[in-house]
Amino acid sequence: MGIYELSLAIIVCINIVLALGLNLITGYCGQISLGHAAFFGIGAYTVGVLAKAGFPSAVCIFAAILMAGFIGIIVGTASLRVRDDFLAITTMGVGFLFLGIIRQQEGLLGGEMGLSGIPTIGFDKPGFLVIAFIAVILCSALSLYIKRSWMGFAFDAVATDEDTAKLLTVDVAAYKLTAFALGTAMAGLAGGLYCYFTRFIMPDDFGFLTSISVLSMVAVGGIGSVPGVIIGTALLTLLPEMSTFLSDYKLLFYGAMLFAVMRFAPEGIAGIGTRVVQIYGRRGDAK
Amino acid sequence: MSVLLNVRNVTMHFGGVHALTDVSFQVMQGEFLSLIGPNGAGKTTMLRAITGVVTPQFAKVELGGVSIVGLPIHKRARLGMAMTNQIVRPFVTMNLLDNVALAAGHRRIATVLKAVSSVDKGAERKKAQELLDMLGIGKHTQENIQGQPLGVLKRLEVARALALEPKLLLLDEPLAGLNHIEAARLADVIVEINKQGLTVVMIEHNLGEVLRVSGRLVVLDNGRKIAEGDPQIVMRQPKVRAAYVGKEAEDAAA
Amino acid sequence: MLYLELLVQGLIYGCMYAIIAVGLTLVYGLLRILHVAHAGLFTLGAYLGLILTNATGSLFLAMVLSGTTVGLVGMAIYRFCYKPILHKPPYVALIASIGLFIAMEEIFRLLFGPYGLTYTKVPLQQTVHFFNMNLRAVDLVIVFGSISMLGVLSWLAQKTRLGIAWRATVDDPQMAESFGVSVQKVRYLNFFIGSALAAMAGIFVSLLSNMAEPTMGGVPSYKALAIIVLGGLGNVGGTLIASIILGIVEAFGTIYVGDFLDRDAIAFAFLIIILMLRPQGLFSRK
Repeated sequence: MGIYELSLAIIVCINIVLALGLNLITGYCGQISLGHAAFFGIGAYTVGVLAKAGFPSAVCIFAAILMAGFIGIIVGTASLRVRDDFLAITTMGVGFLFLGIIRQQEGLLGGEMGLSGIPTIGFDKPGFLVIAFIAVILCSALSLYIKRSWMGFAFDAVATDEDTAKLLTVDVAAYKLTAFALGTAMAGLAGGLYCYFTRFIMPDDFGFLTSISVLSMVAVGGIGSVPGVIIGTALLTLLPEMSTFLSDYKLLFYGAMLFAVMRFAPEGIAGIGTRVVQIYGRRGDAK
Repeated sequence: MSVLLNVRNVTMHFGGVHALTDVSFQVMQGEFLSLIGPNGAGKTTMLRAITGVVTPQFAKVELGGVSIVGLPIHKRARLGMAMTNQIVRPFVTMNLLDNVALAAGHRRIATVLKAVSSVDKGAERKKAQELLDMLGIGKHTQENIQGQPLGVLKRLEVARALALEPKLLLLDEPLAGLNHIEAARLADVIVEINKQGLTVVMIEHNLGEVLRVSGRLVVLDNGRKIAEGDPQIVMRQPKVRAAYVGKEAEDAAA
Repeated sequence: MLYLELLVQGLIYGCMYAIIAVGLTLVYGLLRILHVAHAGLFTLGAYLGLILTNATGSLFLAMVLSGTTVGLVGMAIYRFCYKPILHKPPYVALIASIGLFIAMEEIFRLLFGPYGLTYTKVPLQQTVHFFNMNLRAVDLVIVFGSISMLGVLSWLAQKTRLGIAWRATVDDPQMAESFGVSVQKVRYLNFFIGSALAAMAGIFVSLLSNMAEPTMGGVPSYKALAIIVLGGLGNVGGTLIASIILGIVEAFGTIYVGDFLDRDAIAFAFLIIILMLRPQGLFSRK
């Protein structure tokens, strides 16, 4: 693998961690978020500031996860007050609020110019890829485990009908906040890795378009499905890189893809996969 | 016999509508009480006030001598009350078995930490299967919710409520939409469960079944309690008959 | 004096927000869709208005033509994009709409270039004295134009058969249908009027900044989403009031908390605070 391919692979890994986080919130627990990039940014800026202050990289990454998860819980409390479309707009607002704050903090956070000169994590590109890959494995394993556990069961109930879930003793608020905490912590991890990877971050990296891109990855892959999200993320990250045509028209491609998937196959790649399996399964039974 | 549920002076209005006005009644341990009255009498609102789905302007509600006013819905449910919805609300993403198994696992999901540290669903699914068998829908367990007839979904609601192992079962029109035979059979199952010691409060319009199974009636009309007591005696009271006949006549005319 | 100027500043922005948001809230009221692509129609309106003004020399003619064209595009969006997915869960239409909007912005960039277009001669720049304030003619046109357009709209809704059918459909589509109202016709009309208004807003913004650019739809229209939520989704009156309030809050906010938050962040901070206090918006629907 050349440097270019290595970099691409690392970006794919970071995006997968980011998307799995959103999948926990939106896919598992049914709470739509249009502000996921803010937590990506919180992770990145936490690492940026701490690393420049000379803290070791493990501490910085850990702090990024905690910080994003902590603020995630605070933002998650919004989901206890508002639902559905109102929640979508509130989380979108959180994203814009985050950007607004970052842009005005020129001293600590670099304002519009961003943070540069972030020290290296201490690994070369292949080493970095290994770390990013481990992050993907950990987050996927955690997601899959949660789905199988009683927590996943309760999330499913909250996502489907939270009023009925309450009557069945489910502490809806606690589960929602847990989903936000875990999902945003993953975004924080992704942000921390991203910051160490690029070593230069700007407010625009974490804007509304990033939130939408992550949502696209989850939606195109199939909301709630871990393999679907991984495939969707890899596809949407790599396709624009594969041809100069697609990279010139990256946003057009994103927009059209997002629209087309929702218009024609709202269950995403995972949904198409399930349908194929069902069709072949039935044929198998018939034989 | 001790008092299990003590409802005092429940008053609730939405805007200008008086849904409930100063309603009080008690439910004894082990009793089968039916809450009846014409449409719009406030019966469903009363059950919702008890479970905490709605918050009345004034109410004192005690379960087993402990006040539950101000507790959120899930905490009231954990104290031992289960309610079925008049309009069925199954989790459409789960099959029938898991709808009940989730409720059967109420101890596992009581805290997030417990929930995340347990995976095995075998025991709860077994229990869910038993409950579904008891209600006569055991052969549908692996099926999806979509396309199930109302009769199955109504019984699913009851199975899910029973899976919570409640002290008090609140049923909102469990027999509505069932045919004659299904209704009688479900009523029999509820009576059987009641005989085993579970206290039941039921809202029901099927007066034939109500009179057959209930130990006592509370009658609401226009948000007020107008009668209470032995079913046969209550039904002979002129004001109960008037409330019913008047409303039935209006309904028939409309 | 400063207060009065801020107030007028807020009013100008508020009026602009109102005519963007009113179309959005009408779509939400009818279809329960957060129609993000509305922002694309706003930008399209600005481009068409600017190009036609430059070509014909008449701003008025350009506004009429731009409004009609954008209205028709809005109807097409309903027909081909939303109608087939109305029965899906709400996030489906929302994400589809966001996708459509992003694609539209890119198409504008490809067609008209990334740096935007300017007027060859910007109309309505003369200074007007108004209550001791120096205002541009364009400011007055925005305020009075918006108010009169919304006035006409409200007259249509109150007094004409079509308007009554429209309100009936928003209140209860099934009931309206049973009274012989064609719900489809109402929806098309709704998209036509809402989109045409968005085009007007686009032209106003292009007049204020002497520019139409591909990304101009972004922030004001996300803000329009915030406004319709504040106004109590689907509530037209609430939306208008919320627009004006937000315009004024922003105008004062940039003076008093501008060091911590930029204009957009102030708007969203305001939104979040209000929603946490009143989850149903400032003015709930019923």
